[in-house]
Amino acid sequence: MTQPKEIFVLTDRCVGCRTCTIACAVAHSTSKTLFGAVAETPRPKSRIYVEWAAPAHKVPMVCRHCEDAPCMHACISGAIRRTDDGVVITDTDKCIGCWTCVMVCPYGMIGRDLERHKAYRCDRCPDRDIPACVAACPTGALVYQTVPAYAADVRRHASGEMVKGKGS
Amino acid sequence: MDSAEAYVIVGGSAAGMAAAQAIRERDPAAGITVLSEEADAPYFRPLIPYLVSGRKQAREMTLAGSGPYTGRDIQVWTEARVTAVDCKGQRVTLADGRQLGYGKVLFATGSRPFLPPEIKGTDTEGVFALRTLADARRMAKRAEATRRAVMLGGGLLNLKAAFALLERGIRVTLVVFSPEVLSQLMDPSDALLIRHALDRAGLEIRTGTAARQIVGDESGVCAVGLDNGDEIACQMVCIGKGVRPNVDFLAGSGIRIGEGIVADRFTACNQPNTFAAGDVAVTHEPVSGRPIMTALWTNAVEMGRCAGFNMAGLPTAYTGTFGILNATQVADMPFVAMGTVHTEGVDLEIHRHASAEAYRKLVFDTDGKHLVGAVLVGDITNAGIYRYLIREKRDITTVKRQIVNHQLHYGHLLPI
Repeated sequence: MTQPKEIFVLTDRCVGCRTCTIACAVAHSTSKTLFGAVAETPRPKSRIYVEWAAPAHKVPMVCRHCEDAPCMHACISGAIRRTDDGVVITDTDKCIGCWTCVMVCPYGMIGRDLERHKAYRCDRCPDRDIPACVAACPTGALVYQTVPAYAADVRRHASGEMVKGKGS
Repeated sequence: MDSAEAYVIVGGSAAGMAAAQAIRERDPAAGITVLSEEADAPYFRPLIPYLVSGRKQAREMTLAGSGPYTGRDIQVWTEARVTAVDCKGQRVTLADGRQLGYGKVLFATGSRPFLPPEIKGTDTEGVFALRTLADARRMAKRAEATRRAVMLGGGLLNLKAAFALLERGIRVTLVVFSPEVLSQLMDPSDALLIRHALDRAGLEIRTGTAARQIVGDESGVCAVGLDNGDEIACQMVCIGKGVRPNVDFLAGSGIRIGEGIVADRFTACNQPNTFAAGDVAVTHEPVSGRPIMTALWTNAVEMGRCAGFNMAGLPTAYTGTFGILNATQVADMPFVAMGTVHTEGVDLEIHRHASAEAYRKLVFDTDGKHLVGAVLVGDITNAGIYRYLIREKRDITTVKRQIVNHQLHYGHLLPI
């Protein structure tokens, strides 16, 4: 298995515009267009959330697809599994809407579709090269990278800062 | 496979299969044998009410191949009931006389329904305690000729069974001795919205009364006699009066039994190479440290997985579980109850908020710095974050307002 990409969140870059939430909802709509999506019933739902924390922090949050995912083990109907790409997905056909996953997710990242009586969450946009939220973010607050590549970027940036700090 | 290295798991439900899967993840080559007394291959037990309602077939409930369960290289023996354990010789004996040696053994035999001895006639045909897929099949069959059913006990399991029967168009009466349904999971005043939802759904509920006897004729059950003198004519009775751990097979084994099998923090029993997990095991409550037993799929999986890691040589402490940890939806009303939820006459800091659609009760310890329990009805958004705070005993001073107003999100907990 190749190293899977993750969605990294840079909270200091988020300005709280919520473009990601709209892009997510559109990507998970039937029509896949903004004008189509707003007219759909049930209303397409975003799997990414932007919350506000005092005094002025905007915090985009999305399923972490945890390594030892509590939701997957807690599910009482076998609806949650991990794909070969490392993505934790909810099988809507198997979901019985008992909300046990909602109760155990420590991040609060599982939504409840009340019209369909099913749980929903980020599926990392399996049909797209880059998840819709990441592609839409205008400030680069969301980064889609493998862990080693992301770590290398951070190292490179940090080493640049250190060199600058020395004044050489 | 040399039996000295083999893993034997007694019990093929949540705890047993989670342990088997965990062992397999750690040790790709080990021999793993699961002994299940049921005739069906392991399945998702919480789904069996759907067999009664007709919404799902048995094959849609199979464990292997669903969720995290691969079932890969795990030998499952069905109709294999263990009757004795020899801890010195490290082997188990089955009901048919077969013996099986083990390197390490897990006792995950679960629990069985408790049938109150004071109710007469519980052996009448048409009386059920919904526990196994086999029970569900018999219940579904009986339901075909049932016009009215009486449920004894107002717990979650009985409510789910009641709804399965309602869906089939059967008239259902729930007889509850407690003053309100779900008394194990919340105080009566917390259950108001749920009770309204049950009433709207057409469930008849009689509280404060108990069954005395079940009356049968040649066609099986035909009525239930209550302690107030009433008699309800019915063709089916379902008993949901709690469960008892299956520990009888350990008589004379030297395994320490309290209310259930006593396991340490690393899920080990008092004899070498023996472990216990799930409904059958006594565990501890993380807030108070008190020993408790639960009968919940989610808890059983968590403890079973932990036991599997310990058996496979990865020491993993079991953090214990809340005595109460339930999420579900009855009728159109979702709810979550976790931690300390019974607060009548207890000195704790309690915040309640009630509207027409939602109710919440948040319970803090006396100094108000730690969340110890929560009941959320109607709006259960972000319930997992509350569970996390209770379980980790986090100082919640900085986010208390958000908790009380039910506006908490993970961003509040980030060090930013």
